[in-house]
Amino acid sequence: MSPSNSGVASVASGAAAAAARPRAGWSFLASELVLLFRRRRTWVLLATLAAIPVLVAVAVRLSTARAPGSGRGPAFLDQITQNGLFVSVVALTICVPLFLPLAVGVVAGDTIAGEAGAGTLRYLLVAPVGRIRLLLVKFAAAIAFCLAATVVITAAGALIGAALFPVGPVVLLSGDTIGVPDSIVRALLIAGYVTVSLAGLTAIGLFVSTLTDAPVGAMAATVVVSIVAQVLDSLPQLDWLHPYLFTHYWLGFADLLRQPVEFSSFSSNALLQLAYVLIFGSLAIGRFTSKDILS
Amino acid sequence: MAQKFTKWIPAAVVPVVIAGVVIAVPMAANATGSLPDKSAQEVLALVASSNVTALSATFEQTSNLGLPQLPTGTGAQGSGSTAQAASALELLTGNHTARVYADSTNGAENMRLQVLDSMAERDVIRSGSDVWLYDSKKQTATHATLPAKSDAATSAPDAGDAASTLTPDQLAAKLLAAVTPTTTVTVGNDLSVAGRSAYDLVLTPQAGDTLIGTVSIAVDGSTGLPLSVTIVPKGSADPAFTTAFTSISFDAPSADLFAFTPPAGTTVTEQALPAEMAKPTGEAGKGTGRSAGKSADRPVVTGTGWSSIVELNVGTDQSALTGSPLFAQLMTPVEGGSVFSTSLVNVLLTTDGRVFAGSVSAEALKAAAAAAPLAAAPAAK
Amino acid sequence: MTAAAPELAIETRQLTKTFGRQTVVNNLDLAVPRGSVFGFLGPNGSGKTTTIRMLLGLASATSGEVRVLGQELPQQLPGVLPRVGALIEGPGFYPFLSGSANLIRLDSADRFASPATRRKRVADALERVGLTHAAGKKVKAYSLGMKQRLGIANALLTPRELIVLDEPTNGLDPQGTREVRHLVRSLTDQGTTVFVSSHLLAEIEQMCTHAAVMRAGNLVAQGSLDELRQTGQTRIRLVTPDAQLALGVLAGLGLAADVEAPPERGGASADPQLIAPLPEEVAAEQIVEALVANGVRVRGFTVAGSTLEDLFVALTGEGFDVAQ
Ligand SMILES: Nc1ncnc2c1ncn2[C@@H]1O[C@H](COP(=O)(O)OP(=O)(O)O)[C@@H](O)[C@H]1O
Ligand SMILES: [Mg+2]
Repeated sequence: MSPSNSGVASVASGAAAAAARPRAGWSFLASELVLLFRRRRTWVLLATLAAIPVLVAVAVRLSTARAPGSGRGPAFLDQITQNGLFVSVVALTICVPLFLPLAVGVVAGDTIAGEAGAGTLRYLLVAPVGRIRLLLVKFAAAIAFCLAATVVITAAGALIGAALFPVGPVVLLSGDTIGVPDSIVRALLIAGYVTVSLAGLTAIGLFVSTLTDAPVGAMAATVVVSIVAQVLDSLPQLDWLHPYLFTHYWLGFADLLRQPVEFSSFSSNALLQLAYVLIFGSLAIGRFTSKDILS
Repeated sequence: MAQKFTKWIPAAVVPVVIAGVVIAVPMAANATGSLPDKSAQEVLALVASSNVTALSATFEQTSNLGLPQLPTGTGAQGSGSTAQAASALELLTGNHTARVYADSTNGAENMRLQVLDSMAERDVIRSGSDVWLYDSKKQTATHATLPAKSDAATSAPDAGDAASTLTPDQLAAKLLAAVTPTTTVTVGNDLSVAGRSAYDLVLTPQAGDTLIGTVSIAVDGSTGLPLSVTIVPKGSADPAFTTAFTSISFDAPSADLFAFTPPAGTTVTEQALPAEMAKPTGEAGKGTGRSAGKSADRPVVTGTGWSSIVELNVGTDQSALTGSPLFAQLMTPVEGGSVFSTSLVNVLLTTDGRVFAGSVSAEALKAAAAAAPLAAAPAAK
Repeated sequence: MTAAAPELAIETRQLTKTFGRQTVVNNLDLAVPRGSVFGFLGPNGSGKTTTIRMLLGLASATSGEVRVLGQELPQQLPGVLPRVGALIEGPGFYPFLSGSANLIRLDSADRFASPATRRKRVADALERVGLTHAAGKKVKAYSLGMKQRLGIANALLTPRELIVLDEPTNGLDPQGTREVRHLVRSLTDQGTTVFVSSHLLAEIEQMCTHAAVMRAGNLVAQGSLDELRQTGQTRIRLVTPDAQLALGVLAGLGLAADVEAPPERGGASADPQLIAPLPEEVAAEQIVEALVANGVRVRGFTVAGSTLEDLFVALTGEGFDVAQ
């Protein structure tokens, strides 16, 4: 350790720097995104999600090769054989109830608790990152992961579908047929819908993550919450509660496959998710800003 | 430290604000301008004069008929007549959202009804004399050609499953036709439906033995189009059946919507309509599903007004229906048959193969069954 | 210290922290002069880290006031933290990032740090702690000492007015310890105040100008090292095989001595030691004279008068008892 003065300006200039106006702080968001997408864990999660459309497409391909025309599965799976672009939608339908919440639970549950567990939280806070700013950046990065996850499933589905099945005009739920460019627009809309759908769960995960220093606990709790909400949503006795469950509109992206597009579930979903983000975001702020960082 | 509490202020305020918005927004939407007072007569006239030629609308139907709650999705399982019955039943229970598009400007007779199921859709498309039924789950399409001269503008022809979900205007027209001296008609306070101010036309049956307490029809103040129908059973405060527009626009929908070509991979059946438009299909949805259509027997109506009872002969070959677990779940065995009971309609299926249905008590049905002679003995057996 | 600045870099008043029923920091009145190297001394569990967490706004005080660099905490925290560098309870880094990537991340979190000079500042900080060769290595491949150095480098990323180092020499080899000491001295040359906590007296003694001593959450002494030495009790230390005889002689002179078991050293010297406080009216040479006159074989005699160690031991207790 050289005691030389190299590279260290005088304290006076340090004080001047402190007096200067702070930057917007986008570089911390960029750093957070780099950190998230550089982690091997993130890549494993995304690769696992990408594997689901591949598995679905290969399974359907093999089973139809053996017994052509005896499609006794749900009509949705049948669609795949006629149009590879449908693999994306089928894969999203399969991923939405469990696999996406699992992946989002891991990322959202890790946001604060992961930093606490690694001992980096205290250094971020004295760097300094304001606690609310840290929550906002963490939330934004987690939402970026949600987007990446849905886009990866959609893209992997479209690619494998194009590789294994014919690609052509897409039949909508209404029985109308649309061309390939239009269907790509719809696929992107669906990816957007699913990303928005996951915002509420992300906010819940963020809040849970402020409650503990054990990231695994926060991840598990977030996933459990998503499963409990779906179970409640399937109990007809609780139908008064259903419109308020963040999972209620999760499969509503089917409305984007109607002719004309039904946007009401999109907007209901977006408003519901916004409410969850506001409620759990403010809970996370309340908890995190009043918490002693002892990790 | 006292400051710690201040950090939780947003967490306390935000839910309150959201709850406020959730409560205030619908109230603000309801606070539409009040309508000029009208008598029941005038409101009926407004309905009669209604001349809506084009609309794009979404409506929601909610039934709470007191049937056992079936987990969602059961309706689609099974096969054959059970599936048919279950599917018809499914439309009568729970909640459904549907969209309707209609355009009869320039003499066109275009209509499209879409029942928005989860991950599926059932469509009825009428374009002139062509009628298509499409079911995305089964991937089937049925085509029929209407007789040239048809005045079935408001009631969809053999619309199968999808038609059992009636649009508010269709249902209101049907109910208004039944307005006779047996009913008191009053106008309640103004309502707001789908963001529009509406008169509340309340029909109260005077007959003592009907199950129906009141039928309220919201009539759009400017167009006279019925916007919602709510049926409350006698002695209950909660509606048993509601169908209401949630959004409505009177712009002409895109013409593309009415041009239907069955997509590739769909099983298409051509259905020939009986020469005379089968009237009983209008009575479908009373729980008997396709059996009614199969039977050549005409239904017999006894009684009048709200307490009418429909009698139908379906034959004794009911094993397909009675053997199903769904049947056992829904029917209550009684002396001489079994009863399918809802808060608005009762259906008695006798062991000798007759069906009695009506908005009356099960006792009244049994009495009707006992009174009616076994006129046309079933051909089978 | 140049012309004792009236200003204090850190000032606490009646600072108290309780965890449940346990009072971990009790009515602490710290006064850290600007430009000093301030040693914060205390055995494990005496509340040093907890105090540092409160100074940095990580934990809130149960009661009392904190001023850092003249600003009231926690209200002025956002203005204070950019001027403070810190190592808190050991290093904390992302194991899957390299040393320099870790520093870049922490630097990008600071909205006052210039992105343009970031890479250069990171390289300089790594050089100052001798980690240039390991800059590109993943932190999971670092030894504890290397991580500790990286933690110090983080505190040096931008010029700071105050640097807080919590047990900075933990895990360092003797060479590293020496380097840290050197580094801390060099920091003060630029006018930075350094607040160093340690449970090792020797360390504090060698690099600090001021010190405070903690014991079970209480501040038991505070001041410049000279001031502290003066408050210390002078003692004599006698090494002799004739312990019993010596005890009698010392008692005659009015000294109450404790006998310490001989230090185990491979059987070489197995003489017990006697330690006794030296009253002011008795001169050291007087004692030796009396001992020799009475036939005590004096094999070693020291007046361990003003060592801080004695003070430390006296103030914090001896042995391995960790404060509860
Ligand atoms: N998170 C915590 N919860 C409860 N007690 C704690 C916590 N952290 C530290 N303590 C207690 O506070 C006391 C002081 O700890 P600390 O400040 O870490 O001591 P030091 O840094 O001087 O070794 C110890 O008795 C320890 O048990
Ligand atoms: Mg410590």
